[in-house]
Amino acid sequence: MPKCTINGKQIEVAEGTTVIEAFMKLEQNIAHYCWHPGLSVAGVCRMCMVKVEGNPKLQIACNTKVTEGMVASNEDAKVKEAVEWILGFHLINHPLDCPICDQAGECGLQEYYMTYGKYDPAMAEKKVKKKKVVDLGPTVVLDSERCILCDRCVRFTSEVTKTNELSIFNRGDHAEVGVYQERPLNNNYSYNVVDICPVGALTSKDFRFKQRVWYLKDFNTICNGCSTGCNVKAYYNENGFYRIKPVYNKEVNGHWMCDTGRDMYKFVNLEKRQTSAVKNVNGTSEEYSPIQATREIGVLLRKNVNEAAAVLTGQYTSEEYASFFATMKDFGIKDFYHWVNNPEKMEEFDGLLLRGDRNPNTAGLRAEAKKANINLRNAKDLDPKKHTLIIVAGPEVQAFYPDLQKSVDAWSKSQTLVWLSSCKNPVLFAAHWIVPMKSFVEKNGTFVNYKGIEQKIKKGTTIVGEALSLDEFAIAIKGERVDVEYTSPLGGLA
Amino acid sequence: MEVKLLTEHYDKDEFQGISGYKKLGGYEVLKKALKMKPEEIVAEVKAAGLRGRGGAGFPTGMKWTFLPNNGQPRYLLCNADEGEPCTFKDRMMMERAPHQMIEGMIISAYGIQSKKSYVYIRGEYTYAARVLENAIKEAYQAGYLGENILGSGFTHHLDVYRGAGAYICGEETGMISSLEGKKGQPKLKPPFPAVSGYLEKPTIVNNVETLAAVKYIIRDGAAAYKKHGTEKSPGTKLFSLSGDIRKPGNYEVPLGYPLKDLINNEGGGLKQGRSLKAVIPGGTSAPVLTAEEAMKATMDYECLAQMGTMLGSGAITVIDDSRCMVDLLGVILHFYHHESCGQCTPCREGTGWIDKVLNSIIHGRGRQQDVDLLDQVAKNMMGRTICALADAAALPTISFVNKFRDEFEYYIREGRSKVKGSSYAEMHH
Amino acid sequence: MSRLPEPKVNWYLPAIFTGLGITMKKMLWNLGNRSKMQTLNYPEEKYDYSPRFKGTHILTVKKDGSLRCTACMLCATNCPADCITIIASEHPDPTVEKYPISYEIDMLRCVFCGFCEEACPVDAIRMGPEWQVAGKNGSNFIYGIQDLAYRPQLKGGIQTILDDGERSKAGI
Repeated sequence: MPKCTINGKQIEVAEGTTVIEAFMKLEQNIAHYCWHPGLSVAGVCRMCMVKVEGNPKLQIACNTKVTEGMVASNEDAKVKEAVEWILGFHLINHPLDCPICDQAGECGLQEYYMTYGKYDPAMAEKKVKKKKVVDLGPTVVLDSERCILCDRCVRFTSEVTKTNELSIFNRGDHAEVGVYQERPLNNNYSYNVVDICPVGALTSKDFRFKQRVWYLKDFNTICNGCSTGCNVKAYYNENGFYRIKPVYNKEVNGHWMCDTGRDMYKFVNLEKRQTSAVKNVNGTSEEYSPIQATREIGVLLRKNVNEAAAVLTGQYTSEEYASFFATMKDFGIKDFYHWVNNPEKMEEFDGLLLRGDRNPNTAGLRAEAKKANINLRNAKDLDPKKHTLIIVAGPEVQAFYPDLQKSVDAWSKSQTLVWLSSCKNPVLFAAHWIVPMKSFVEKNGTFVNYKGIEQKIKKGTTIVGEALSLDEFAIAIKGERVDVEYTSPLGGLA
Repeated sequence: MEVKLLTEHYDKDEFQGISGYKKLGGYEVLKKALKMKPEEIVAEVKAAGLRGRGGAGFPTGMKWTFLPNNGQPRYLLCNADEGEPCTFKDRMMMERAPHQMIEGMIISAYGIQSKKSYVYIRGEYTYAARVLENAIKEAYQAGYLGENILGSGFTHHLDVYRGAGAYICGEETGMISSLEGKKGQPKLKPPFPAVSGYLEKPTIVNNVETLAAVKYIIRDGAAAYKKHGTEKSPGTKLFSLSGDIRKPGNYEVPLGYPLKDLINNEGGGLKQGRSLKAVIPGGTSAPVLTAEEAMKATMDYECLAQMGTMLGSGAITVIDDSRCMVDLLGVILHFYHHESCGQCTPCREGTGWIDKVLNSIIHGRGRQQDVDLLDQVAKNMMGRTICALADAAALPTISFVNKFRDEFEYYIREGRSKVKGSSYAEMHH
Repeated sequence: MSRLPEPKVNWYLPAIFTGLGITMKKMLWNLGNRSKMQTLNYPEEKYDYSPRFKGTHILTVKKDGSLRCTACMLCATNCPADCITIIASEHPDPTVEKYPISYEIDMLRCVFCGFCEEACPVDAIRMGPEWQVAGKNGSNFIYGIQDLAYRPQLKGGIQTILDDGERSKAGI
């Protein structure tokens, strides 16, 4: 365990730790582009220069191991001058694209320019022109001119996904990142290269030109795309959600997340949402406020207690299940079913993050059922003719439920089918009641991932003001008072 | 005076084939070496004070002792990627005396206990590669290569690998990358190749001339070898003499030989009516010497280091007063710009920047501040990259700009060269 | 601070006559000195503002007549009245890359501060000399690309100094 001094602060680090890791541990600012904690060391950007006492030459912090008694600093005037020049080298052929570049506002070059910029450009020559708007595959667009050749994306595809789609072609200042002929960047983790690109060279087709990043607010939550439960940051503004990015969590997802998870924001925006409760009788639809509808369902439920059943999916929080089970048991309901979307693929795993169980809280559902002493039966065994009333806590991400239509049609043979859903879908109109639910960005709660790790999701904003969470539904169905917001800050219908 | 140690039989055509080589005492040293202990060979090379002849001048014996004793297979790589502009000694050595080098390699490989070695030869050296491949075939047939060489129990295999024409593959880690089948780009150091090189195994990379010299150290013994040259730079060295000189060519002289004599005696002096302006003493990446400095210089590592330049690969380029230094630097930097591998930002962008500034000056668009800019850019590239290519581009720039500042200023002011009739721009337009 | 003392007499007629007196005096003076009159006969006569007057916005165009705007949203970001709404899209020409498919300024919200003009990195928005903004109802005051760049007064659009293609060719 060597001890060292970084910018005057002492620290003891594990054997084999590099100087840049020691800097990060001490939360000292150190400029870097090519170094990424989740990838190997490339040492090509040369930004992380430090002065190591006893060594006349400046060293790069990413490839220098901490030794006992080492004294390293990046506050030295010599280091600052070196970094200024190296940043200058990065910028001499960089195009003036900031106005049209999606990265502007979160760009490494802009960030360091504020600290290390020379502000008086000495470069008077023509810039090297390279290809712009290169289509790398279904998800990513490349701008070679903006690229600083930090090699992060290339290392990502070779070390993390091991698909090796990307490579650096040519040499010198004509070097360009690219894909091989007829082998586009097409893996389920491709958006990560956009995240790790420190400049605007790789941009996401999904997010491209939709918003400037400084208009977005963000909050940390958990991805609801599968049972891995990746830690993510969701970005939104008053017009809705725009993107999801991974947040580092050593235990769960490391630095990355899959492309499937990145689509999760698409199901929460207003245009996809069920905004009011609907009663479908004899081909006519009637709109209700969700609370009112729930109370009427409550009245129905009291009449049909013995023939009622509840179907649950693993897409709600543990707290919601607990409250729902308690209420249903109070009513005296005995039949609970677990609707599994793809039973044959439940145990699948792509080797990195994505799991076959596309529900974020299957483990939580089972645990809460066990706690409440409830025997969850498989929804396949549900006989709609035996039950006069079925309450389905439907999936939030309906795309993961290929048997959605089949199930709705089958269960609607029951006298009353109540469907709780956050998304609107014409398929659901076979149900007799539809009650709008909150999406995962609108409520607090716990998701238990496949390993049993409990993770908190957080309410970021409200999109559909009147939508209920499952526990609010459970309160309202008893006829009790629920406080819901009647207005939505995102301009949704109240 | 020339001392013909390595080049003794170079004038005889038969020296190229194995029969002629053996007639002139070939492979006798190998027999002697195989009777010695490997450690004795390393000790002998170390005692001889042999320094790498490729450019960096690192003591060979010391390099060999860096190999870790961890039981991993070791590799010996012969660096025959002679990319340094104006250098042509390795080519002659391989074309004239391939067996001399092969013998040196087998002895060295025995010394460091390597079972496999490669000759990484420059792609443009098609003839040399053919000669070498033929010689290796002959050596296999004669039992000097392969399993159980000459009944000693030592096994060694040798292969030739042809490069694809990149200067950067002459850098040892770049060469290793290329040999591994990857893009020829230098690797981060540490780890050094002696610890983790080719296929992440301990690897020694030596120049053609270094390996050939090993043969003579073992033949004559360290003490005899040390009689040539100076105290700190022992031995002989091949110098590739080129430029504005009457008799350009390779000359083997002991280290410490005066540069003046090399130019005037071996090189036959300058052309009629010309006077010396400058000399680049160690390939284009070495800082230039002015005529006065060149007259005082002796060709050894210490003297040249003291003068702020280096012995490098031993390529001496003589520049007379008919040459324009701005044009010359333009040509040199065009080369480094073209050959930068593009990994490290300061080199990738810096070489291009300097090349473009020089190009602007040459085309009459120079600005007064450009002279200082060249100096500054070069100084800020230096020592900040993985390999020494940035230094190789920066050192000549700094020395040219500082030692011949008046020529640069004249070029910028007048839009044409100070030396009449030599302008690069005039040549091309 | 103490207040002014209340007037002792509360009669209003003297003040009325004083006021009428001022009006009459000004009228008679104006009749005698018509050229020095302070008022204009709008709309027949119009006031000439200085060239630096910040009037209605103009979106400049390139040589080919297309919009110079790159939809960088800096004007919208800088706008204190939050009256600029831009929707960006991908341009088929990779040297242009991004352009606005919708650019709207709510003239009723605009405070004519000129911050948009200052923020623009590509000389795409300018404050023009016109100041007469009229409309029959609120929606007429939301100016789109047609109004901002190609209204009849601009005679086919105002050209910018430099465009993307030229910039790219110049190696900037």
